[in-house]
Amino acid sequence: MSHGIEIVAAQAAMDPDMPRILQPLARLLQWVNQALVVLGMVALLVASCVLTYSVISRYVMHASTDWQDEAAVFCLVGATFLCGAFVQSMRGHVGIEAIAGLLPRSVNQVRLVFVDLLGSAFCSFFAWKSWTLFHEAWVEQQTTSSSWAPPLWIPYGLMAAGMTLLSLQLLVQLSATANGLRKQVSGVSA
Amino acid sequence: MSMLTLGLLFGVVTLLFMFSGAPISFALGSVAVLFMYLFMPASALNTVTQNVYEEMASITLLSIPLFILKGAAIGRSRAGQDLYAAMHVWMGRIPGGLGIANVFACALFAAMAGSSPATCSAIGSAGIPEMRRRGYSPGFAAGIIAAGGTLGILLPPSITMILYAVAAEQSLGRLFLAGIFPGVLLVMLFAGYAVVRYRKEYRLAEAEFKRSGTASALLANETFTTREKFEMLPRVVPFVLLLVGVMVALYGGFATPSETAGLGAILALALIAVIYGVWRPRDVAPILTATLKESTMLMLIIGMSLLFSYVMSFLHISQSTAEWVVGMQLSKWILLAAVLVMVILLGFFLPPVSIILMTAPIILPPLKAAGFDLIWFGVLMTIVMETGLIHPPVGLNIFVIKNIAPDIPLKDIIWGVVPFVALMLFAVVLICIFPGIATALPDAVMGVAATKP
Repeated sequence: MSHGIEIVAAQAAMDPDMPRILQPLARLLQWVNQALVVLGMVALLVASCVLTYSVISRYVMHASTDWQDEAAVFCLVGATFLCGAFVQSMRGHVGIEAIAGLLPRSVNQVRLVFVDLLGSAFCSFFAWKSWTLFHEAWVEQQTTSSSWAPPLWIPYGLMAAGMTLLSLQLLVQLSATANGLRKQVSGVSA
Repeated sequence: MSMLTLGLLFGVVTLLFMFSGAPISFALGSVAVLFMYLFMPASALNTVTQNVYEEMASITLLSIPLFILKGAAIGRSRAGQDLYAAMHVWMGRIPGGLGIANVFACALFAAMAGSSPATCSAIGSAGIPEMRRRGYSPGFAAGIIAAGGTLGILLPPSITMILYAVAAEQSLGRLFLAGIFPGVLLVMLFAGYAVVRYRKEYRLAEAEFKRSGTASALLANETFTTREKFEMLPRVVPFVLLLVGVMVALYGGFATPSETAGLGAILALALIAVIYGVWRPRDVAPILTATLKESTMLMLIIGMSLLFSYVMSFLHISQSTAEWVVGMQLSKWILLAAVLVMVILLGFFLPPVSIILMTAPIILPPLKAAGFDLIWFGVLMTIVMETGLIHPPVGLNIFVIKNIAPDIPLKDIIWGVVPFVALMLFAVVLICIFPGIATALPDAVMGVAATKP
């Protein structure tokens, strides 16, 4: 709930704790995320135009509006899922940070690893189940129940791709947080 | 496992995951999947993604990103400053007029942008320095803006209300209308308080002047010529027309709420392109990026909250809790008070979006059984959640203001905000005593609801 305030950082800085072997992947993800944000922008504009067209066509041309809502839904679902990884790369998915300030630093570091682990596990599971859903819709040629009846593999595929990217993004961030914790532990014992 | 144990376990795990600081969407999703795995038939896990998709793929919910886009377009243009300047010029003659101008500018801007923090930063960045320059105490100035900003989730099109309409299965158009009079009531209360407080500060400044001879800026008179007044109009009128046009499209039966969102977004982008020259891809991209950032975060929370409440109702946790609440045989007003207090407490930690979706299946059935109109309750709940935006410890608007006026101590801001929280709770009481404040307008425009409980 903070739009209109912050200036969006053009490129998130690389986490200094990022393991060297994952840096190419992290950079690739950054690049892919940037590209998907552009796609998301287009999807937003297309959805707005489609809905505007829907009003106009109904009242000016008296045409029936059957496909507009669904087309807009597909655009917006796509934009939402495909940009999930971009938002995560800036840690833009809000959580309750109330206890973060109360914990000692070392415990907090463990908490951060747990948080990333939870996110990664959940999103990987979700991505996997989205792909099976996509597969089913593709094989059985499922369509939506409307008269326009577009194939369902389109939104399912967008969801699956987005969640996969999001899991990758979370795994990369998890490895950086875990690496930071490892450094901290070995630093204390040394 | 008994219902009670299951319910408690569910509650404890939810609290644990939420307070771990994990993103709300992932925390809710994880709790849902964990309990599906443990307590639901194995096939449930296979359809979890289909479940989320089907809940999310409603055009009503997906109008949210477009409403956010409309708000971001207006919020990032100079419309806020212009609107504020015009209000200031037109209200200049009334004692305390500057304060009133700020309240009005906040309300109008909030109705166009539909976002509380965006309103605070747009109007506040011009209004707070001006009020302080004119001798208003910093806390008072901050309080006006923080409170004015909250009007954004009460006046249509409010994202909070879209979610409530979906969760409570009520008509969105009706709910939007029901928010208008309470919104006007709050504007009047805020403006009235601004005048009272201004008079008090004026007397103090006068006494100070007589005692020490140092004249506060508050005592200076400022007047504007009629010509100045009319010169301000052309910059503001288009935005007011946008506001009115969107409302007419929605209630004149020309467009569905989601079509209104698309239309509003396109019109807002067109307006800032024409009036402020914001049309190059370089200028528009930040607006779209900010929209994507916020809407993606929100939509994922919404999708996962819906999965969460699906699991809660599949396991009969929500139904049992609701039955238990009904079984307590509380008098209806005690029940209402208890629910509202709970909403306030949740507001300490959770954004309104999650509060609505997580609690609706539990609190709405008992309220319905007690004979409350759910549209009316939606308005009450929204106002109560608004207070969550401005009361400590997390009140989002407080931090937005801290951001635009870093030199006002947090303590002053908080004390400046407290009277407004009291006014909002007073409005809640008024709406309880006179339910017509919320229900009269939708009944008049759309006819009395056929299925009043």
